[in-house]
Amino acid sequence: MGLEEKLPNGILLTSVEKLVNWTRKSSLWPATFGLACCAIEMMTTGGPRYDLARFGMEVFRASPRQADLMIVAGRVTNKMAPVLRQIYDQMPEPRWVLAMGVCASSGGMFNNYAVVQGVDHVVPVDMYLPGCPPRPEMLMDAILKIHAKIMDEPLNAVRAKALADSGYRTDLIPSSERFARKK
Amino acid sequence: MFESLKGFGVTFGTMFKKVVTEEYPEVKKVTAPRFHGRHQLNRHPDGLEKCVGCELCAWACPADAIFVEGGDNTEEARYSPGERYGMDYQINYLRCIGCGLCIEACPTRSLTMTNEYELADDNRQDLIFTKEDLLAPLLPGMEQPPHPMRLGNNETDYYVNGPQLAKEAGQ
Amino acid sequence: MTIAPDKNSTELVVPEGHVKLVIDGVEVVAPKGELLIRTAERLGTVIPRFCDHPLLEPAGACRQCLVEVEMGGRPMPKPQASCTMTVADGMVVKTQLTSPVADKAQQGVMELLLINHPLDCPICDKGGECPLQNQAIAHGRSDSRFHEHKRTFPKPINISTQVLLDRERCVLCQRCTRFSAQIAGDPFIELLERGAQQQIGVAKEKPFQSYFSGNTIQICPVGALTSAAYRFRARPFDLVSTPSVCEHCSSGCAERTDWRRGKVQRKLAGDDPQVNEEWICDKGRFAFRYATADDRITRPMVRDAETGELRESSWTEALQVAAAGLLAARDANGVGVLTGGRLTVEDAYAYSKFARIALHTNDIDFRARPHSAEELEFLSGTTVFTNPDNGVTFQGIESAPAALLVAFEPEEEAPIVFLRLRKSARKGTTKVFHLGQFTTPAVEKTFGTLLACVPGAEANALNALPDHASDVVELLGKPGAVILVGERAAEIPGAFTAVARLAERTGAKVAWIPRRAGERGALAVGATPNLLPGGRHVANTAARTEVERTWGVEEGSLPANPGRDTTGILEAAANGQLSGLVVGGVDPFDLPDPALAEKALAQAGFVVSLELRPSAVTAHADVVLPIAPAVEKSGSYLNWEGRRREFGTTLEGTGALPDCRVLDTLAVEMDADLFTQTPAAAAADLARLGEGAPSGSSLNVAAPLQSPAGAGKAVLATWHRLIGNGSLQVDEPHLAGTARPVVAKVAEATAQQFGLETGGYVTVSTERGAITLPVETDDLPEGVIWLPTNSGDVTVRATLGAGHGSIVSVSGGKS
Repeated sequence: MGLEEKLPNGILLTSVEKLVNWTRKSSLWPATFGLACCAIEMMTTGGPRYDLARFGMEVFRASPRQADLMIVAGRVTNKMAPVLRQIYDQMPEPRWVLAMGVCASSGGMFNNYAVVQGVDHVVPVDMYLPGCPPRPEMLMDAILKIHAKIMDEPLNAVRAKALADSGYRTDLIPSSERFARKK
Repeated sequence: MFESLKGFGVTFGTMFKKVVTEEYPEVKKVTAPRFHGRHQLNRHPDGLEKCVGCELCAWACPADAIFVEGGDNTEEARYSPGERYGMDYQINYLRCIGCGLCIEACPTRSLTMTNEYELADDNRQDLIFTKEDLLAPLLPGMEQPPHPMRLGNNETDYYVNGPQLAKEAGQ
Repeated sequence: MTIAPDKNSTELVVPEGHVKLVIDGVEVVAPKGELLIRTAERLGTVIPRFCDHPLLEPAGACRQCLVEVEMGGRPMPKPQASCTMTVADGMVVKTQLTSPVADKAQQGVMELLLINHPLDCPICDKGGECPLQNQAIAHGRSDSRFHEHKRTFPKPINISTQVLLDRERCVLCQRCTRFSAQIAGDPFIELLERGAQQQIGVAKEKPFQSYFSGNTIQICPVGALTSAAYRFRARPFDLVSTPSVCEHCSSGCAERTDWRRGKVQRKLAGDDPQVNEEWICDKGRFAFRYATADDRITRPMVRDAETGELRESSWTEALQVAAAGLLAARDANGVGVLTGGRLTVEDAYAYSKFARIALHTNDIDFRARPHSAEELEFLSGTTVFTNPDNGVTFQGIESAPAALLVAFEPEEEAPIVFLRLRKSARKGTTKVFHLGQFTTPAVEKTFGTLLACVPGAEANALNALPDHASDVVELLGKPGAVILVGERAAEIPGAFTAVARLAERTGAKVAWIPRRAGERGALAVGATPNLLPGGRHVANTAARTEVERTWGVEEGSLPANPGRDTTGILEAAANGQLSGLVVGGVDPFDLPDPALAEKALAQAGFVVSLELRPSAVTAHADVVLPIAPAVEKSGSYLNWEGRRREFGTTLEGTGALPDCRVLDTLAVEMDADLFTQTPAAAAADLARLGEGAPSGSSLNVAAPLQSPAGAGKAVLATWHRLIGNGSLQVDEPHLAGTARPVVAKVAEATAQQFGLETGGYVTVSTERGAITLPVETDDLPEGVIWLPTNSGDVTVRATLGAGHGSIVSVSGGKS
């Protein structure tokens, strides 16, 4: 964002980092990129039965300027790829991309001339979600895993280096285990 | 006037209905038993693999998500009853559409699907599941291959009277 | 718009030697003697079959091709096998398409064949490409009426290290036995037992030993014969098939390479009636894993100035170091170029042009084996101008009345030539004469006559032919007769002169059949000391000017004096007359004097090696540049006929570069342009040159008088075996198991003279070293001992430094 890049590293900042990450993950607003069948499941996830709002994702934003998570739901054709990239470029940083379904992740069963073989050819992807289409629980699981990753985001370059040097990787625990009710 | 009150009435009435929202991450959703989740490579009752590396699953796969290479069982290293076993087995979950054609193609019921669905990961490499990831866990009484055939002398014993022989061996 | 044809115009005209018959209500004209199944096939009706194969004699073993036949208005009482019945005038044939009787008969046969056939398609290698499977799925019953127990056998059994037999799956079509008996002549596989127990098998003490055993795997219509190397490796649906050309011998067989995930899984014989028909030898089929050997060089290497060890480097650095070193060596005493016999035409051309333009020398020779000036004279005078139109061809061999084989062991050196010789000899067309040392299996299997002589005396024997064997000379005088000369002739002084004289006298055509795939091509593109591309002599000013113009180099810049040959280059390098060497795929232990080669490599100031795998050259190389194996590049081979055998890249995108590309870039570093960036560019550049005019040869080497070997000594006869220690046969344990036993051979009398026992050991030695191996007696001339050149522990050149015709000491027992 700019300001945090100028700050020195210190004990205080790790707490600030946690706070900032917590605020970011707690109101992650998705930009819709529903392209095909997966979008139906994505819409369902926003509906009352699955109620994505429970995770602070109140509303799917049609304008990229107000979104920080792009859920690419469905197969991306070569013709759609520049549009996808433009939407991504219009999103303010920090931003995350979730490739929902096998088509968005790798092209899936559409291994042909028309379909992009994975949106990571166009934009950096933070989470791949297999399934054809993934059921809403799977999407929620993927979003919660993204939350876990956001919580580990470094605040600035110094922190990023320290994190990279330690070789730390966010543990992606299945959500039903991580959030299971304590008995 | 009355119409709009009727609308609020619906909202008000819903407040007393049972909440439909799933409590997913806290309570794991139990899927229908036939749900097409992650695959599993099954074992015979003594722990030998059922997979014979025939590649029929790869053949059936419309997304070309499965790669199999067969191997030759020897007396020293036996992984499955019979001549052939699956030496290399990979399923690319970023291609797999969960259609289940592979399950139908499998001649030994080696490949089945579980109801496990929480598969999201942050890189493509880890979503190519290899044989180690896919093989069913060893149950009590099973032994990690390679080991000789414990339940019979040949594959016919395994396929024709497998459970029977397992029961006898267990006693 | 279609116009209904006139009734009259559909009347079929029956040419001479043809008959008219009706198949499925359609009138057809067929040549007399054609099999019904083929006539129907020409018509577009495929009658199912298992035993029938167009290149094998009909057997009628499987009965799958039953059709209803009516002759002269009378139907035959039972359905007939269309693969054994020839067409006849007035025949009315109904296939399964129109006749319920034929269809029912075929269904019945299919059911019978499946009675004992196991349902193990999932674990069978043939699954997915199995004629029986296809047939059963297309026309078979969906369930079986047979509820009894199937006949079972223990499976599989190894009938050789390479071929596995699963008797349960066999449908007794006898394709394998017929192939072995008719085509290969190795009847080691036969039908055993009778009735329901009838099965294919081998004799216990004799494994299925044949250089052509792989073909039986390919023609087996079920999964009864499978390959140990390909066992359970892949499925046909997952394989990509690329047409290719065999890189192993000078026949240039068409092949089909099946690969997946960037790795070749198997090779199959391609179909080329003009060259290999549908057969290839086991070496061509099974030896391909050298390209994926663990020790393959994939990165350029440069010798570190400080440590003196080779270290991996970037291409840029390696090429710069190589260019600087070669330039310095060129300006000192010059650089010699040695290319192996394994190069494609395009690669050899790049070496040839590189030597002339970048190194300003004619010191280039492709003959990484024993050679002679006489051979060079013969090759550059006559062989280089032969092509399939004017020279001997495979089909020429098949129609030749007589074939004289001089210092040429067809089964070991060019197996497909052997198959053609056998084919025509079996038909009685060709009488085959072998000028050699003993009755080899090839002599027997080509129904040939052995003209035995002492090694080295072949030239004398040829000169004496008119006196001693006038019938041979007479037969050779008939039109179409051929003389086939092998690479061993280079070790026999006067052999080429004698062959040329005999050819002149009889009018027989001469063909030179080298062992390696690239030799004929290297000759054509001038990778020799005395030739420029296209057979132009370097001393010929007009020819040189022509080449200079086409290459766009300054006139008079090409060296005019013939250069040194391989031995000359090595000698010069060893005593400092040459400062550098460029070596492309040469194994020093194939050279006539490996010690000299070793010394030359050590003494040469700067050595650049272009190699696939580390060799004895690598130890001395200053720069090692990795190159692509045959499957990772495109190009062409010139086979011994002079026929261009083009092939495309099988494995794309591996990053391996062909020799021509490496040399082109190296030349650019040295400020010369080869224009051989790709094999296609090299081929186009070569095509612009065209062919030069024959200058004629003046062969006049007298055959030496043979002096007696002396006490305790014998004359050595030796040649390479097809399956031995060749560097393209590494990593192939199954193939190596089918090699013939490594034994020495002597005559009975010689064995007694040296006190050798049959089944005992013999020690053969020279001042360099000694080899001990088991000994067998055979019909060799007295005082002659035969050893395989490079098989198992026997490495004649490396250990003895000797060759064909050398005098060696012989003693009995293990030393």
